[in-house]
Amino acid sequence: MLTYQPGSTAIHRLDPRSKLLFQGAFAVAVFAHDSLVVLAGLTVLALGILRMATLSPVRILRSFRFILFLLAIAPPIAALSFGPPWVVLDRAVTSAVAGYQVVVMLLVAGAYVHTTPVRESRAAIQRHVPGRVGQLLGVGVGLVFRLTPVLLADLQRIGDAIDARGGENLSTVERLRRLALVGLRRAFDRAGRLSLALRARCFAWNPTLPELSFSRLDVPVLVLSAGLTLSVLL
Amino acid sequence: MIAVEDLVCAFGDIVALNEISVTIEDGSFVVLTGPNGSGKTTLVRHFNGLLEPDAGSVTVDGHDVLTEPVAVRTSVGMVFQQPRDQFVASTVAADVAFGPENLGLDREDIERRVRRALDAVNLVEKRDARIESLSGGEQARLAIAGALAMEPAYLVLDEPFASLDEPARQSVLDRLCALHERGTGVIVVTHDLRGVLDPADRLLGMADGNLVADAPAEDASRVLDDLDVYLPPPSEW
Repeated sequence: MLTYQPGSTAIHRLDPRSKLLFQGAFAVAVFAHDSLVVLAGLTVLALGILRMATLSPVRILRSFRFILFLLAIAPPIAALSFGPPWVVLDRAVTSAVAGYQVVVMLLVAGAYVHTTPVRESRAAIQRHVPGRVGQLLGVGVGLVFRLTPVLLADLQRIGDAIDARGGENLSTVERLRRLALVGLRRAFDRAGRLSLALRARCFAWNPTLPELSFSRLDVPVLVLSAGLTLSVLL
Repeated sequence: MIAVEDLVCAFGDIVALNEISVTIEDGSFVVLTGPNGSGKTTLVRHFNGLLEPDAGSVTVDGHDVLTEPVAVRTSVGMVFQQPRDQFVASTVAADVAFGPENLGLDREDIERRVRRALDAVNLVEKRDARIESLSGGEQARLAIAGALAMEPAYLVLDEPFASLDEPARQSVLDRLCALHERGTGVIVVTHDLRGVLDPADRLLGMADGNLVADAPAEDASRVLDDLDVYLPPPSEW
């Protein structure tokens, strides 16, 4: 599971608002262009970012393997038609390009998760989204980042426990049913204990959050973000 | 002082606490013991308002747990049985800072508290480490640091030695003794009494939701006779 990894790379030191803005601009550019040349350029840019963040693209793709599986089966399904000519290749190509756009976007999103502490994301959100909505979004982001890796690890352990007692002999449906039931129960249990811990430590909707400040390092990122956004007009 | 008067707590038909009355003095080292299901955890969760009494009252330094929960929770730090349940961040320093941030303190004060709490549990060098990379003993100490950062007058630890190996157990115990010497009240909930009776001032014993023993720790062999708790030989006290 991809999570924040402390570090001192240039990407780590960027203001989280720059990183969020860049992600938005990158998404706009990726989904606005379906030319292979532009997508190749954006892929090189994404890989460059990963290199600067000292993060392997393989690790990101492994983290998102379930999404990749869905993206991989989408083109053949899209190509099928209910009547002659039964298979329409153009649709498969369109679907594959769309899938590739998502993959490139995931690479940049992975770099963000890897280099940005959750508290900084929360601070960036609460600073710019006013009122209760911002607080809810900030807390929601924090909880998702905190609980998701724990829940995925729980699912892995449940699966191992099922297999350790002959679960491999169960049908796929029965195995998935047990995994879902126990996983759901464990998720509620986890959520209950996390809620208790939050109360014990005086959880507040509006705590003291880290100070955010732009530096000279952010300037090229902001310029690049503006460029990517404007590229839509070309 | 933590003052509990006629505390009753029931879960459906099961009475978990049956008219418990007890006071815990500032700066004392109290061991609360008893068999599984005797009500130990339920009792201490009332100390900082995580559970609400069905009857009776709990006050901490005069603050009622029902009406002044924030004041109570800053006075009583709670360390849960499973340290992992307590962590709410991915790195050591961020997790310790969580409580002080919720109090709305300024950043300098938060940083001072984080440094002091990590220093108290010997984890200063791990401040930027990911929590998953810590050993079991280090995670137990980090959980204590998270509670200490609130600068509590009392620290409640629920089975702090569960699933720790001997060196890690000793390390946690040493930290608790050091905190007690500095004036922090320590309340250890445990059914494993090795090493905690010697530093303790007082021993409380529970069975079936009742407080059945309240005596100086040195009288352990006398008062624990009727409790289903293993009493180690005096050399391990």
